[in-house]
Amino acid sequence: MSDITKNKFSRRSFLKSSAILGAVAGGSITGVGAFAMSEEEKKKFQYEIQKPENQIFSACLQCHNACSIKGKVYNGLLGKIDGNPYGPQTMLPHIDYKTSPKDAALVDGKICPKGQAGIQTLYDPYRIKKVLKRKGKRGENKWETIDFHKAIDEIVNGGNLFGEGKVKGLKDIIVLKDADLAKKMAADAKAYGKGKISLDEFKSKYANHLDKLIDPEHPDLGPKNNKFVMMCGRIEHGRKELGKRFTHGAMGSNNFFEHTSICEQSHHIGYNEASNKWVVTDGKGKWTGGKHHMKPDFLHSEFVIFFGTGAFEANFGKTSMSQKVTDALVDRNFKMAVVDPRMSQTAAKADWWVPVKPGTDAAFAWGMIRWIIENERFDKKALSCATMAAAKASGETTMTDATLLVKIEDGKPVKFLRASEIGIGKDTEFVTMVNGKPVKVDIHGEKEVYGDLITDTSIKGIKVKSSFQLIVDEAMSKPLNAWAEVCGTPVKQMIEIAKEFTSHGKKAGVEFYRGPVQHTNGYYAAVSLIYLNMLIGNTDWLGGMQIGGGHWHEDGSKHGGVYNLKKANHPGKLANFGPPVTREKSRYEDFSLFRENGYPAKRNWYPHTGNIYQEILASGQDEYPYGIDFLFLHKGTPLLSMPGGNVSIEYVSDPKKLPLFIASDIVIGESSMFADYIFPDTTYMERWGTPHTTPDVAHKASKVRQPIVPSITEMVDVNGEKMPVNLEAVYIAIADKLGLSGFGKNAFDNGLPLTRPEDWYLKLVANLAQEGDDLPEATDDEIKLFVEARRHFPKEYFSVERYKKAIGGDDKLWRRVVYVLNRGGRYQDYKDAYKSAPYNKAQYKGFMKFFVENVAQSKNSITGNNFNGIAAYEVIKQMDGKTTGFEKLNGDELQMSTFKEVFGGQSRTIGNYWTQQSLNPENVLYMNKIDADKRGLKDNDWVTVLSESNPKGEIDLKNGTKIQVKSRVRVIQGIRPGVVTMSWHFGHWAYGANDVEIDGLTIKGDDRRKDSACPNPVMTIDKSLKNMCLTDPIGGSASYYNTKVTIKKLS
Amino acid sequence: MGKNKKENRRNFLSMLGTAALGGAILSPVLSKAANTALSSNVTEIKNFEGRIEDFLGGDYTNIKLRMQDDVRRAMKKPAKERKWAMAIDLRKCVGCNACTVACISENALPPGIVYRPVIKDEIGTYPNVSKRNTPKPCMHCENPPCTDVCPVGATFKREDGIVVVDYEACIGCRYCMTACPYEHRMFDFGEHYSDGLPAVAAYDERPSFEYEKEWTRENKHDSPIGNVRKCTFCAHRLEEGLLPECVTTCIGGANYFGDLNDPDSVIAKVVSKLNVSVLKEEFGTEPKVFYIT
Repeated sequence: MSDITKNKFSRRSFLKSSAILGAVAGGSITGVGAFAMSEEEKKKFQYEIQKPENQIFSACLQCHNACSIKGKVYNGLLGKIDGNPYGPQTMLPHIDYKTSPKDAALVDGKICPKGQAGIQTLYDPYRIKKVLKRKGKRGENKWETIDFHKAIDEIVNGGNLFGEGKVKGLKDIIVLKDADLAKKMAADAKAYGKGKISLDEFKSKYANHLDKLIDPEHPDLGPKNNKFVMMCGRIEHGRKELGKRFTHGAMGSNNFFEHTSICEQSHHIGYNEASNKWVVTDGKGKWTGGKHHMKPDFLHSEFVIFFGTGAFEANFGKTSMSQKVTDALVDRNFKMAVVDPRMSQTAAKADWWVPVKPGTDAAFAWGMIRWIIENERFDKKALSCATMAAAKASGETTMTDATLLVKIEDGKPVKFLRASEIGIGKDTEFVTMVNGKPVKVDIHGEKEVYGDLITDTSIKGIKVKSSFQLIVDEAMSKPLNAWAEVCGTPVKQMIEIAKEFTSHGKKAGVEFYRGPVQHTNGYYAAVSLIYLNMLIGNTDWLGGMQIGGGHWHEDGSKHGGVYNLKKANHPGKLANFGPPVTREKSRYEDFSLFRENGYPAKRNWYPHTGNIYQEILASGQDEYPYGIDFLFLHKGTPLLSMPGGNVSIEYVSDPKKLPLFIASDIVIGESSMFADYIFPDTTYMERWGTPHTTPDVAHKASKVRQPIVPSITEMVDVNGEKMPVNLEAVYIAIADKLGLSGFGKNAFDNGLPLTRPEDWYLKLVANLAQEGDDLPEATDDEIKLFVEARRHFPKEYFSVERYKKAIGGDDKLWRRVVYVLNRGGRYQDYKDAYKSAPYNKAQYKGFMKFFVENVAQSKNSITGNNFNGIAAYEVIKQMDGKTTGFEKLNGDELQMSTFKEVFGGQSRTIGNYWTQQSLNPENVLYMNKIDADKRGLKDNDWVTVLSESNPKGEIDLKNGTKIQVKSRVRVIQGIRPGVVTMSWHFGHWAYGANDVEIDGLTIKGDDRRKDSACPNPVMTIDKSLKNMCLTDPIGGSASYYNTKVTIKKLS
Repeated sequence: MGKNKKENRRNFLSMLGTAALGGAILSPVLSKAANTALSSNVTEIKNFEGRIEDFLGGDYTNIKLRMQDDVRRAMKKPAKERKWAMAIDLRKCVGCNACTVACISENALPPGIVYRPVIKDEIGTYPNVSKRNTPKPCMHCENPPCTDVCPVGATFKREDGIVVVDYEACIGCRYCMTACPYEHRMFDFGEHYSDGLPAVAAYDERPSFEYEKEWTRENKHDSPIGNVRKCTFCAHRLEEGLLPECVTTCIGGANYFGDLNDPDSVIAKVVSKLNVSVLKEEFGTEPKVFYIT
């Protein structure tokens, strides 16, 4: 085993601050660098990085695709990254899983430019390696290094930490620690929220514990523990479940968040609601088990319409999709259309480019729907199936509600008619008309029922329509040319595309990601687009829409996993209660606040969605439903990445409003710079994870992220276990200090410990290696290779004994785990995903709905109005329902759109100079020549971008610095006139872009990182809320595309 | 190193298999390339003789694995019997620049040096617009205008068609840069991406493996610094039976590569069957990089 300090970087390294990467190895700065060669070495060239013993297979995380990669190690350092040939995302077709890793070392897979540049994230000279504590005011960027354990002690115990008065520590926040008590209180608090028990009853029952509540007058808001908020940006499976174990189970807080609403949440919610299944248990029915994501099967498709996305940039994701699409375009009869105001790389290769007005994707869908209905080009047979039995008999794996009857009240569809309501069946059964006569429908029954598509009638005085009739009504609400007019595109194009879409049977699909949904009408747009897929009944068909191959279950919940980490293995786990601070997954009407205040609520509640990133800080600031005492920000930079995130700078800068704020970050970032403490984190090349795979991949795939090289962060000793400082170490240390369950000794059932990261992650690997009991075991040779490939790790990182202990099983399990780790995961062979033609092997087999009863039954908690069960095109609105006027351009206004250059991630790639500097060193504002000519603007003119929400085009860091949102202009043809767009990943004010002071030393920032602007700071703030961007009230998506701007030339 | 530059230079040239010295001195590297198909340095790989494509069960074709087999087959032949060529299908190039970055990373290129740029053009007028992406590696011309102008013979075409630069001979005069009609050649000014940052980054320190050697940036006289640099078709990877980085990492599957002299190779079929063209045909350079449009 080697010593990490011997993995020297360079003799040219020089010391700046011991907190920053420069001082990784104390002895190395005068020594000979590891990369220097001796005479002997030069003579015998060996291509070291291609040797099997120098490769570790893992998973990327430059974006959420988390493609499988191979890390090629050179002298103990990461020398090169390439694609993993075992992975279906990174080779087409991928090599068989049984291939020896020695052979696989000879084959490199593909990986995108961001993935290729990952080494520059790992060895970013601005990475922090020691814990930093602020020395000045928040955001001043003056820091001191502090011992890890001292920092943990301070955040746990609180005190006068900054000379600003006493600060509450975690011990004063995490006050409900008794699992039995928490369980009882949770049940009674929920009952109180719903008005089932009285406040007095609750208070007398828990008289001794009222001090544990946020507000004893509102016990249904939950325990004080909820005031601990875990806010994660990019977090993935493995780490996510550990975070929930910590936040929910150990800390007893209901506030664990991912960043999904600033990504594409309404797309997921749209799919989830439209595909929720009707599950009947014990005579009660429930909507559950929907799929939140589907993708076209590009390998067999003949036509795909991309709405606001493409196959070659961003999306989920380009590395696996691109070749499928290019092969199909060149070698097959594949066609495509792209609906996007910007001419993307995909649009450039498409048969149709439809530059719609931003926010009108749903209108385009409804125009198509109208034409498809009028020309009867929908799949009548598939849509007439009213039971799964009928669907099966018709050769379908899915059915829809097209023929089911929906009750109409005050002209609005409200609920499916139940058979019991007209006396023909049970209340778990629906009703359809068969030749004009009502027939009960047991979705899962044996009876094949085929219903009438068109019904508009009354039964026993109840006004009903079929779901399909409701679609017809909506589609017919505007003439075709009026739908086209909303989009600002020719009606001819709409007809051509509708015709093409319905000319390929099941081998066509509608694909979308964030473009159509990061609007206030996002959920409705998503569902409108899904209707198109439902009209041709393409789900599960080869060439249609697929759910993807799925994965082996690392949580051990299915098919013989070793450790069930979902339902068990957390003795002493705390029950959570009270709404999350974002009020997500919570129904306003189920809480005492509703009974007291009614409508409008102070802020919206979101029963259908979760991970509403932009609500976290805004709600904390408004203290609705309660304030945040302790914010733990991990791998996220909301102030930069949220639309108008800069408005939250005021909140996070104020210790009176936000008493304690810690961050886990690899650098001092735009948001972590406002923290009280920054705990250095490990990059994805130094740590573990079990990421899932895009449904674009039809193969079952379980990727494993594992350390490729030792971490550059400081090593710490937590109860005798040495580990690098990172998120896991912070969890373990806090849990130890507070005596929390689920960590430390006896963390799992059977007394197994969780005292270092491997104790968690290797159990996940063990689960997916053991599932199905059919994985080969690594041979002695493979084990030898496994150990040799890890010879550059110090023993604290890697020892066979410690790994075996963490896995906790027999020799067979150990060998299976090695088999998986040697291949960077577990993958289904290429041929095995296509054994069920004409269907995909992995099938949804469910119930797709036009009418979403769930949504129709809930209300906007500001207006008190019900949402629509049938999706529709809706103009852009504030949370209070008032229109914003986005659609009409006045004077010299333009609509601002955004996109991502293929080589950039949103907030974490600015240090990847290979991409940024070689490809596009600065951001530009793309503008159509027509608009540029009108304004007298030319290429490379400097401009500032102004909006109603940010009339000065400025970011005020509240530390004396104000930054102008400015950019050069690029005049192009490939964008809709009236729309301007900018890529996302520029405009940094931290992350190495600025000077910081650490221990009295100034670390100079790099100008290359701050050039040009990020468009987010000028985006529209909801005037009815004042501290948050426009937001979809149903899906929760943050609006990135609903801002009007003016462009001012700078001299 | 650097003590006897002349001798080293000779070794270098022979290593490249050049005819300049009549092949009189066979360095171990050359014999390796000539006699064994894959560098025996890559330890413990038993089944090199097998087809890489067999790593894939079933009847599926993986064009990259096939081309890798093509490379291995070609490497079994003497250098003068193979002729490396590349074809780029612009219909499949998605403009992602994975090749650009992979090449920079593989060859440890400093700022200002990009062996594989992708030129992006916008064509047409709104709303009839399209984009064209043109990756531009070295054309590895049959008649390279760049080599003739070199006053010290530091740049030349190898027997296998790859146009190379001998870093130990190059005097940095940059005549070749002017002579290249494709503006491919670049001068290494000795910069690093992490210059001026709080620490020198490890990615700036990893040696380049060009021409099967470890070129550090520690010492001006023993590094590519001050030399003209160019794409090598990843000659060091070919030696190991691997495709050039730009080909393996291409997410659009737009690249074809192999031995034009091998009628069974993918590249030979692509170049003969598809309608290929070359850049600046009128210069008579006879590029070995073909484009499919």
